Amino acid sequence: MVSTRRIAGVAAVAALTTAVAGCAGFTGGGGGGGDASDDTLTFTTWASESEQAAFEDLVAQFEEESGATVELNVVPYEQMFTNIDAQLGSGDAPDVFRVDYGNLGVYSSQEQLLDLSSYFSQDEVDAFTPAMWEAVSYDGAPYGVPHQTDVSALLVNLDMLEAAGIDTSTLPTTQDDAWTWDEFAEVATQLRSSLPAEQYPFVVNWQQGGVLRWLSWLFQAGGTLMDEDGAPQIDSAEGAAALDFTRSFYDQQWVPPASTPTGTVYADSLFSEQTTAMAFVGSFLVPDLDYFNEFEWTALPMPRDERGATDLGGNALVATADAANPDLAAEFLRFMASEDAMSSFCGATNELPTLTALEGDAVEFAIRPDLMPVFVDQATTIEPDDVRQLTSPAIAEIGVAMSTELEAAFVQGQSTEDTLANLSAAISDATGQ
Amino acid sequence: MVGWAFLAPNLVLMIGFLFVPIVLAVQLSFQETRGFGDPQWVGLANYRTMVEDPDFWRSLANTILFTAVTVPIELAAGLGLAVLMNSALPARGLLRTLLVLPMVVSGVASAMIAVILFYESNGLVNKVLETLGLDRVGWQSEGAPAMVSVILVAIWLRLGFNMVIYLAGLQSIEPELYEAARIDGASRWQQLRSITVPLLGPSTFFLLIMNVIASFQVFDVIFVMTGGGPSGATSVLVTYAYRNGFQIREQGYGAALGIVILLITLVFTFVQWRTSRTRDLAG
Repeated sequence: MVSTRRIAGVAAVAALTTAVAGCAGFTGGGGGGGDASDDTLTFTTWASESEQAAFEDLVAQFEEESGATVELNVVPYEQMFTNIDAQLGSGDAPDVFRVDYGNLGVYSSQEQLLDLSSYFSQDEVDAFTPAMWEAVSYDGAPYGVPHQTDVSALLVNLDMLEAAGIDTSTLPTTQDDAWTWDEFAEVATQLRSSLPAEQYPFVVNWQQGGVLRWLSWLFQAGGTLMDEDGAPQIDSAEGAAALDFTRSFYDQQWVPPASTPTGTVYADSLFSEQTTAMAFVGSFLVPDLDYFNEFEWTALPMPRDERGATDLGGNALVATADAANPDLAAEFLRFMASEDAMSSFCGATNELPTLTALEGDAVEFAIRPDLMPVFVDQATTIEPDDVRQLTSPAIAEIGVAMSTELEAAFVQGQSTEDTLANLSAAISDATGQ
Repeated sequence: MVGWAFLAPNLVLMIGFLFVPIVLAVQLSFQETRGFGDPQWVGLANYRTMVEDPDFWRSLANTILFTAVTVPIELAAGLGLAVLMNSALPARGLLRTLLVLPMVVSGVASAMIAVILFYESNGLVNKVLETLGLDRVGWQSEGAPAMVSVILVAIWLRLGFNMVIYLAGLQSIEPELYEAARIDGASRWQQLRSITVPLLGPSTFFLLIMNVIASFQVFDVIFVMTGGGPSGATSVLVTYAYRNGFQIREQGYGAALGIVILLITLVFTFVQWRTSRTRDLAG
């Protein structure tokens, strides 16, 4: 799922008509050659401030170790895939780029990415969390390295909770004592009755590219989006429970009305400006929030129903099928996913590692390290079957339909029955099942 | 030969950046493609999808509504301001500059300013409404207010251009005509109706076409302010084409929508041109 980087929309739209600077055109195929031009890699990514600094450090380190040159090209998130699509179409794509797990499936299924099977030994593959390696694989072959992951947890404004009469010393801290849906609803009700009309109990981060985060609620209810063949499973009692509960967020005025899946106002902004007392937010935004927030806040586990669940955020690094020097590209990917590099990147950016050796408290987080155990703990609720569904090549297309259907259900009065039936049809369309 | 030589630079640019892309877009509109990988030839399927696509019809209706509201207001207000700025007004130069300023600022930057103004939870407009004891307006969560906000901003952005063109038109009207009318006892309103408006016919014709085309092609303001939402309430043809072409990656369908926008614009321009030819010659 997309970890949306909040980068000014100005740059995003201005960039619609602007070609990416600095992306030297690599049109040649073949690899392993030794001439000078082959010692250069182009690497395109989007990045928050802390991510950019971390990428620059690691690129410099790789250049020193390998003697190669890496042209790092940082672009706004909003223009990232429009540009990559156009560059792939014109045979002008960068050698290496960053991609979320949902989009990775679109590229790998269209044979746009370098098959890394021959570049990684079984031992190296085994070093990764199995679910994350699965997330970069298509038809059994890996098409990238899982670079980091990211999950949402529930951030709370302690001042606002206390003002509503909620005892903040009894807030849940681990998966074991996470709020149930009922307990969460009680807190929301209590907040609603104490907050003025223009403030809201919470906001969910399912706007725009984040729409698939709605699946966390489906998974918590014990539901499934689709089976292994891609046949829709959402039209179920669990699907109805998840939809009814999330629709009640709008009916009960627990969330701001503009924060719908097609809305343009993001959860972290509403939380920072204290329009909401709580917000579901990914850990990658912790550095930004630490900088902006002028109130006491902490992180809690997401509520649970039949089980705990969260979204699969984070990104992979991939090499393009036409990379000028596939060996060098693969070497760069291996370097970026190495234990040291991943540890320093995740530590600097509050993101979670994908190597089993770095699980638990192995990474030292630079900012608000006190909150990170909640996210690390939350990540354990991701099950392999969730990953399978979230990384299906059809998921990007399903997300588009989900955005329209959830919007219709949340604020346009579309019935649960119709919404689930429409979602099932959209899944069938996308997967051909 | 010399004529062609003068024409050549423009012609080359137009072929390269206008006609070739149009031909390629037509070709793309007959394909199913994500923009990379192997495209599939699907004939008229994209156009058939469009006919049955409720979102397309909604976007078309929104575009027509947007055009029908913005164009008359832009023309009338542009003319009003031009008449005002043509009179002996103190600090006229400064006021003219202020009105034209939005024209030279990037549409995206202006729309970002508008986002801050119309931001629902704590934007300036809602804060002012609250201070005045009025209810907050759902600029980002309700369809009608969202449409009103983008219309207001689009008008603000284009007003300066309309004023400048009308101002130029006004300054080419002989002052003697007004003098003669005044001697005949014509009121200011009669002068406006019987001299100014008819003699500004060519300017109005030009502005009508420019404004209609601009309204049919509106993108930046809406994309930045509402992204076509809430729930498609401000989705217009170009934002819908962009959504399909680049966000959903149905580039063939996006191209087909682009071709339809082109055809609508061409038809409108042709009709205007045919029906307004005499007025075009009047100036």
